[in-house]
Amino acid sequence: MMNVLELRGLTKKFGDFFAVDNMSLQVREGEIFGFLGSNGAGKSTTINMVSSLLRPSGGEIRILDRDIAKHSRFAKMNLGIVPQDLAIYEDMTAFENVSFFAGLYGLRGSELKERVEEALEFVGLSDKAKSFPKNFSGGMKRRLNIACAIAHKPKLIIMDEPTVGIDPQSRNYILTSVRKLNETGCTIIYTSHYMEEVEEICSRIAIVDHGKIIAEGTKEQLKATITDVKDIRIGLKTLDGLEPALLQSIPGIRVLSVQQDEHAVRIQSDAAVDNLSKILKQLIDGGMEIRSVAEQAPTLETVFLTLTGRNLRD
Amino acid sequence: MWNEIWFLVRMTLLTTFRKRKNLILYFGLPIAGVLVSTMLYGSQSSPDLRVGIVNEDAGKSVTSDTIRFVERLDHVKLVNTTREELKAKIAASDLDAGLIFEQGFADSVLQGKPGHIAIQSVKGASVTSYIKSMLYGYIGNVTAMGTIAAGDGGKFQQLYDSYQAGAFKLTSESVNDTSKTKEMSYQSIGFLIMFMMTSAVNLSQLILKNKENRTYFRVLASPVSSRTYVLSNVIVNLIVMIIQIAVALFFMTVVFGIDPGIPLDAMIFILGLFALVSVSISLVIVSFSKSTASANALQNLIVTPTCLLSGCFFPRSIMPETFRRISDFLPQNWVLESLGKLQAGDTLMNIGFNLVILLAFAVVFFLLATYKFGRNNDTRNFV
Repeated sequence: MMNVLELRGLTKKFGDFFAVDNMSLQVREGEIFGFLGSNGAGKSTTINMVSSLLRPSGGEIRILDRDIAKHSRFAKMNLGIVPQDLAIYEDMTAFENVSFFAGLYGLRGSELKERVEEALEFVGLSDKAKSFPKNFSGGMKRRLNIACAIAHKPKLIIMDEPTVGIDPQSRNYILTSVRKLNETGCTIIYTSHYMEEVEEICSRIAIVDHGKIIAEGTKEQLKATITDVKDIRIGLKTLDGLEPALLQSIPGIRVLSVQQDEHAVRIQSDAAVDNLSKILKQLIDGGMEIRSVAEQAPTLETVFLTLTGRNLRD
Repeated sequence: MWNEIWFLVRMTLLTTFRKRKNLILYFGLPIAGVLVSTMLYGSQSSPDLRVGIVNEDAGKSVTSDTIRFVERLDHVKLVNTTREELKAKIAASDLDAGLIFEQGFADSVLQGKPGHIAIQSVKGASVTSYIKSMLYGYIGNVTAMGTIAAGDGGKFQQLYDSYQAGAFKLTSESVNDTSKTKEMSYQSIGFLIMFMMTSAVNLSQLILKNKENRTYFRVLASPVSSRTYVLSNVIVNLIVMIIQIAVALFFMTVVFGIDPGIPLDAMIFILGLFALVSVSISLVIVSFSKSTASANALQNLIVTPTCLLSGCFFPRSIMPETFRRISDFLPQNWVLESLGKLQAGDTLMNIGFNLVILLAFAVVFFLLATYKFGRNNDTRNFV
């Protein structure tokens, strides 16, 4: 199968800091490729370089088997970007917005009109074609943001957090649209802080940390890499008085994270070390009231936490 | 590339001028500038001089002929009054001056020793000098006749009648005072220059606005390069300014009937050259600004003060020498100076140096903006 995107030793330096460090990656035709990393991992810098907004310090980026340094126009014609922050004109109607961005790819006349209508139809905004985005809900703006990236029918679409900050209904609509786009032959690179979304729609995933790919594969392959780790979640009545440093000193514990919203502590520990009773005793001695204890099957989140030592949202 | 530029230019013009506010901002304000100049200089026209006449020497032909002579002077309006009323009317500004022909005026002229005439005014020489110079000339002529007649009433009358019926023909031609219309057009251009510069910065700020709403980066992720994008902005800017120039000159010359005293094509050429300078300055401002707020602050720091120093709002001649020297380094001054020279009768060829200086300003600012844009490596939060 053809590689739609290929990174070969891609590097980006800002002064002495390596934002992207010798990164190599292949995204194959027809994939929905999850690109995961916490803030500052090098994800955005990589996408900016693929979009030709940043010049790499080293390495090579190939889109549809052509080096984008030499075939920049060809690469851009085949690329669609859905940025995390909305990039639409508030003083243009939905139709004009899509028409403007599609026009940048050389579409004109009836072909342009047809593509714009198609894109608006695809994101469910046909009936809002003549409305201005300032009157749209957050979800509708996100859908328009997508329409602006797909009207020129790119082969590769990069979607950066397309569902951030929207209602569940719009989120489902967008996830369905992503699948539909993929079914039409589009290859999609998808980044999200919502791990369940990535698990749901991505066929392959890469985890980026400190500018490097630290794991890559299908979700099953990634989960299989952490058989030596158990994932324990302890629910507490309150987090007041919790001393994570004391827990961290218990033998076998690799990663400990406090889930503020859920009043819980999540622990990745060596599967071979039997330390659950010590953990519970430490909590009880510290005056904590335990509500629940559960050992979870590894999820993508467990994989991410184990590999990077951080939550995806950190 | 030109296909992309044309597309961007068309879309920018469409979205900018669909807002009525922008139409007023870009084309209404230059018209308002012409209107303000017209009102400023139009109110300075010289009104008629109101002169009160007190004739206490009635019945004498020399006296009544002298009064008629004064009446025929340009911009003089006579009002017959009495000595008592005269003072009150002058004090109340109902009259500008008073001429009192006392009894014996005609006889004194006849005897070659003119007297018994007085001029009164509270405004002094600024009002009376014109009447005095004309009137004394006339009285001098009549007095000369009295001297020749040497007290012979019949001889004087004969000389006086032949003087009044004089066969010599004097052809007079009125010369229009064009200084006022020239000042009006000069000031209108001054306002236009400021509005052109403000418009240029506003339009170049679209680049910053699009960076702030991130559409700029979306455009750059498409096949359109940053060079094409900035070039399209420059073209939009020039189109708007050329229309501004055309609208302002149309209203100045056709609607308000102000004759600038310069051929229109020469004026359009110089202002067109200044349009290039304005765009280049606006690009420098935008290239040095990180946000529209800082661009606005820079605009306020640069455009208004330099226009003020260059004489866009009032004549440069009334400024202190130091300020005039500073304005030698400002492009607005070179435009106004070029127009002043053309008004004084120079041709475009004669002011070649001024044109070269203006072109140099444009080139230097364009190069500075290009250098600064090239060093901006800001992808902000596009992804």
